[in-house]
Amino acid sequence: MAMKFSTNELMAVTAARMLEDGQNIVVGLGLPQIATLLAKNTHAPNLNIIYEIGVINPESVDAGVGIADPRLWYKGEYFTSFIGSLGQILQRGLVDVGFLGGLQIDKYGNINSTLIRNGNDIKHFTGSGGAADIATFAKKTFIIMKHEKRKIVDAVDFITTVGYLRGGNSRSDQGMPMCSDMRVITNLCVFNFNNEERVLQLESIHAGVTGQDIWNNTGVHVSIPAEVKTTDEPTDEEIYMLRNKIDPERLYI
Amino acid sequence: MRNLIRKLNEVVSEIPDGSQIALGGFAITRNPVAFVNELIRQGKKGLEVYEIIGGMDADLLVGAGCVKTYSYGGGSLDRFGKIDRINEAIEKGLVDVREYSGLSISLRFLAGSLGIPYIPTKTILGTDVLDNLAKKDSAIRVEASPFTGERVVLLEALQPEYSVIHAPFADTKGNVIIEGPVWDVELAKSAKKLIVTVDKIISNEYVKQHPGKVVIPGVYTYAVVEVPYGAYPTSVYKAYDYDGELLSSYAKVNKTQEEFNKFVQQYILGTSDHYGFIDKVRGLDKLSRIQADPVYGYTKS
Repeated sequence: MAMKFSTNELMAVTAARMLEDGQNIVVGLGLPQIATLLAKNTHAPNLNIIYEIGVINPESVDAGVGIADPRLWYKGEYFTSFIGSLGQILQRGLVDVGFLGGLQIDKYGNINSTLIRNGNDIKHFTGSGGAADIATFAKKTFIIMKHEKRKIVDAVDFITTVGYLRGGNSRSDQGMPMCSDMRVITNLCVFNFNNEERVLQLESIHAGVTGQDIWNNTGVHVSIPAEVKTTDEPTDEEIYMLRNKIDPERLYI
Repeated sequence: MRNLIRKLNEVVSEIPDGSQIALGGFAITRNPVAFVNELIRQGKKGLEVYEIIGGMDADLLVGAGCVKTYSYGGGSLDRFGKIDRINEAIEKGLVDVREYSGLSISLRFLAGSLGIPYIPTKTILGTDVLDNLAKKDSAIRVEASPFTGERVVLLEALQPEYSVIHAPFADTKGNVIIEGPVWDVELAKSAKKLIVTVDKIISNEYVKQHPGKVVIPGVYTYAVVEVPYGAYPTSVYKAYDYDGELLSSYAKVNKTQEEFNKFVQQYILGTSDHYGFIDKVRGLDKLSRIQADPVYGYTKS
């Protein structure tokens, strides 16, 4: 009998398995960071982890409140500027995977982290930071987010970060570098965009989640194939690592 | 040799209303808080403020009504909260706010530091960030590359009249030492006048023995101002930690203009210098509890 696991643990493990050894990853705080550290401590020891603030391969021992927290810089291998990280590494084309969160995402994978509209009123949030830059230049973009009807929508209120723009070839028509793979890992399922129209489609559903659950919680129509794959479950080793080494204070899992 | 060492109130007093000022802070680390508080005390108006990632510094300035335009690449107080004086200024159209991405605004400073007129990039193509900027910011255009014909965003170089950064150390010749990441180094090098507030002025002899630690040489520096704990309540790596309790309470205060005004009245306008601010807002004894551990670079509990 395998260990029981939480949904956040399943999300972290699912995301971690998408990373390959030796890749260069730009990563934000929270579950993306947990997933990246899990991969580095299991099948991908040679990942290079880059924080946009200009820190490479730190080995934090205390949890931080954001990438501006020195707790996240401990035992870094290299300190640089935004130009050094987002310019000379990311824009230069050396980043394999950009790992982001988001306020809202649409059916073409465009992400909003700027504002929410309510009639003529807006509510303003964080804005881009490095997110727009990361999704422009990373060869692959992975998103981890909570699955809610108002968060996965037909069209975002503001395109902070481009996924596949308006689908098809519209991203490259704008002159943007191609994104070869985009995944959205939620608490219910995994989406990808690997079809001609570059529109959100189910890759797998987490065990115990029904098609009706997906429909009830998604603000855009998703078709549910009869033989949709169930997301692979975490191994005991992965859960052990998460709880004892990666996030012992259980801040994210 | 011109004396670079200045007093905070004097160097701030020479900055005219309406000046361009780039700030070096990033969310909750190395914000030039002492400098910004002095701008507020002296009642500066109409400032054109630039910053890569917004933090408490710009939020204070915008909330205090000192700012006409604010250009930035996004920002927050990390998990403590949001920069809600800036968010509300955007929501109500109170200030002309121009939102970039982190890289696109950094490239404007890089171009300024290189002395070139503009710089091309592909970042922010396709975004509403670009659409919004194109409507109101003459510093941004989309053109075809003369070499390949592909679409590129052209960003005008920025050499702000003043850049203000906070660093742990500089010597009397303006050589600046910063430990940790240096997101603000191009912003510093692009300025017509670079003002560096430091926790401590050190000797040129120390710099001569450790030239590899200098991230901004004195050729760029206009003024060095010694303000111990000048970034408080934000952190300086290897010197002192952020004050999480104060940042948490500020993230509540900044939700409404009324509460924010009371904060400014009591702790900034109601004090005459940065020690006065720290003493009134938290008590000077707090400083002994946020000293950085020399190995970890923050307060190790």
